[in-house]
Amino acid sequence: MELLLPLLAALLIGAGVFLVLSRALIRLILGVSFISYGVNIGILLAGEGERRDAPPLLQLAGPYNDPLPQALILTAIVISFATTALLLVLALRAYQVTGTDHVQELADRPDPVRGPVVYADPEVPSVSPEIGTAADVDQEGPR
Amino acid sequence: MNVLALPVLLPLFGGSVLLMVRRSAARRWLATAVSTATLAATIVVAAHVFRGEILVLQMGSWAAPFGISLVADALAGLLLLASNVVALLTVVFAGSSLQHAPVRGDSPLLNRARDAFGAQALLQFLFMGVNMSFLTGDLFNLFVAFEVMLLASYGLLLLGGELPQLREGFKYVVINLVASSVFVITAGMVYGLVGSLNMADIAERLQAHGGDVRVTVLAALLALVFATKAAVFPLGFWLPNSYPVPPAAVSAFFAAVLTKVGVYALLRTFTLMVPAEHALGGLLFVLAGVTMLAGGLGMVARRRWRHAMAFANVASVGYLVAGAFIGTHAGTTAAVYYLLNSIAVVFVLFLVAALAERVAGPAYRRHGHLGLYPWLGAGYFTAVLALAGLPPTGGFIGKFALVRSMLAAGGGVHVAVATAAVLAGLLLLYAATRIWREFFWGEADAVHRVAIPKAMSGVTAVAVALLLSLAVFAGPLYGLSGTVAGQLDGNAAYLAAVLVPGAPPRTGAH
Repeated sequence: MELLLPLLAALLIGAGVFLVLSRALIRLILGVSFISYGVNIGILLAGEGERRDAPPLLQLAGPYNDPLPQALILTAIVISFATTALLLVLALRAYQVTGTDHVQELADRPDPVRGPVVYADPEVPSVSPEIGTAADVDQEGPR
Repeated sequence: MNVLALPVLLPLFGGSVLLMVRRSAARRWLATAVSTATLAATIVVAAHVFRGEILVLQMGSWAAPFGISLVADALAGLLLLASNVVALLTVVFAGSSLQHAPVRGDSPLLNRARDAFGAQALLQFLFMGVNMSFLTGDLFNLFVAFEVMLLASYGLLLLGGELPQLREGFKYVVINLVASSVFVITAGMVYGLVGSLNMADIAERLQAHGGDVRVTVLAALLALVFATKAAVFPLGFWLPNSYPVPPAAVSAFFAAVLTKVGVYALLRTFTLMVPAEHALGGLLFVLAGVTMLAGGLGMVARRRWRHAMAFANVASVGYLVAGAFIGTHAGTTAAVYYLLNSIAVVFVLFLVAALAERVAGPAYRRHGHLGLYPWLGAGYFTAVLALAGLPPTGGFIGKFALVRSMLAAGGGVHVAVATAAVLAGLLLLYAATRIWREFFWGEADAVHRVAIPKAMSGVTAVAVALLLSLAVFAGPLYGLSGTVAGQLDGNAAYLAAVLVPGAPPRTGAH
C-alpha cells in the first residue's frame, strides 16, 4: 500500500505524458486529464505520509489523516474539470472548422484570408514559419 | 488593511455584472468605471507600501499559517499599480476597438460577437487573476490565481473560433495546463515536506532544511513553472505565435502584464521562499541572456507587426530575469526600474502595432505611412528608443544600470550575459529600424487614409506619455526601485509582517 499509490501516480502521469505527445487532439486531451489524475494522487500522498495529531477544530481522539491535501485536490479537480470541458469544446470546434483532429494537419492549414482586402503579401507566406516546430525539423532532416 | 481585498473583489463583481448587461455602450462605461475604481484601490495600496510598510490582510481573521494571507510589499504594490494602469488603458482601447470594428483584419461581425460573448467581462476576470497573483501570500492560492488568470486568457484568446485562434489557442491551453499540473503537484510536495502552504511560513520552515536536495528539486520545479509563464528561453516557444492571435487590445495586455506575472513569481520564489538556491538562480541568469538574444533574433525574422512585437516582449523578459538574478542590490534595483519600462514599452509597441494593423493589415512591409500617420510614427519612434535602450528614454537608464551592475558583479558569466544584453539591444534596434524603414518610409503604398478612432489614438498617446514620464521622473522612480530592491534583499521583514508572533503553534509539524 505504501508503494502502490506512488506507483499509480507515476503510471498515470507517464501515460498522460505519452498521450500528450501524440498527434490526435482527443488523445492529447485524455493525456492532460490523466496527468491531472496522477497529480491529484500525488497531492493525496503529501498528506498520507504524516499523521497529524488532530484537525484544528475537532477534539476527538487521533490519529487523523491531514484534511488539507484533500481540500487542495477538490480545488484541483474542479479546475481540471473546467479546463477539460474547455479543451473538448475547443477540439470539437477545431474539428468542425478544419475537418481533422490531427495536430500536424491543423498546423499546416493556411490562415483563411477574408474581407475585401487581401493582406497576404506575396513575399509574406500566409502562415509565417514557426520556430522549433516539427515542420522545421522535417525539412532540415535529423542532425 | 481591508483595502487589499479590493483589487481582487472589484474586478470579480464588475466582471459578473458585465455578463448580465445587455447594451454594448453600457458595458463599455461599466468596464471603464470598474477598472478606474480598481486603479483607485491600488493607488491607496501603493501609497502605503511605497513608504516601506508591508500590508497584510489575513482572510477571515485566520492567523497566518492557517488562513490565506494577502500581502502587499513594495514590489507587489508597484506591479499592482503598473498593471492596473495598463488594465484601465486596455479596457478603454478594447471598448473603442470593439465599437469601431477594424476596417481590415478581423471582420466587423466577429468583433461584435466577441463583445456580446463577454470579452469585457473576461478582461475583468483576467485583471482579477493578475491582481490576486500579485497580492497572495499563499502558494496554493497563487496556483488558483494563475488558473483564474489563465482561464480568462483562454476565453479571450479563443473567442471567435477562427483557425489561427484554434491552432495557437490549443497549444497555449495545453502548455499552460501541463505547467499548472507541475505547479499544483509541486505545491502538494512543498506541503508534504514542510507542512505549510503560506509562503512566509514555508520560507521560515525551509531555513531549517539548509542544503536539503529535496528543497532544490522543489525550487527547480517552481522555477520551471514560472519560467514557462514568463517565457524564459527554452520554455517560451509558445509565446510568439499565440500572443498575436487575440484582439489587439487583449494581446497588448497579455504581452505587457502576463509575462511579468511569471517574472514576479520567480522573484518572489527566489527572494522569499528559497533565497539560498544560488545555483538555480545562476542557471536562470544564463538562460535569461539566451532569452534576450532569442527575442532579438526572432524580432529580426518576423514579417508581421504583432509577431515581431511578441519577440520584442520575449527579449525584454530576458533583461528582466537577468537583472533579477544578478544577485546584488544594484542589479535588483535596475531590474525593478526596467520592469516598469518593459511594461510601458511593450504596451506602447502593441498599441502602435494594433493601429498599424488597423490601417494596413498584419504585414508591415507597406511603405510610406509616415506622411499619412505622423503621430503614429512619433509614438513608434519613442517606443523603439526605449526598447533598444537609447537616450533620452527610461530604456537607456534601465539597460545602462543593468549592464553596469552585471559588470560590477564580476565573473565570466556576468560579462557574457552583459555582452548578450548589448548585442540583443543592437538586434532589437536593427529589427525596429527595419520596420520603420519598411512601414513608415518610402513612397506611399496606401491609397486612402483610414480613420483611427479618437479613443484608440488617445490611449496610445497616454501610454507614450507614461513611457516618457519614466525617463522624466527617473530620479524618484529609481529611488522607489531601490526601496523595492531593499525589501527583496532579505526576507526578514516580510516574515515578520505576515507571521504574527502570537499565533498558536501548529500541531504535528516538524
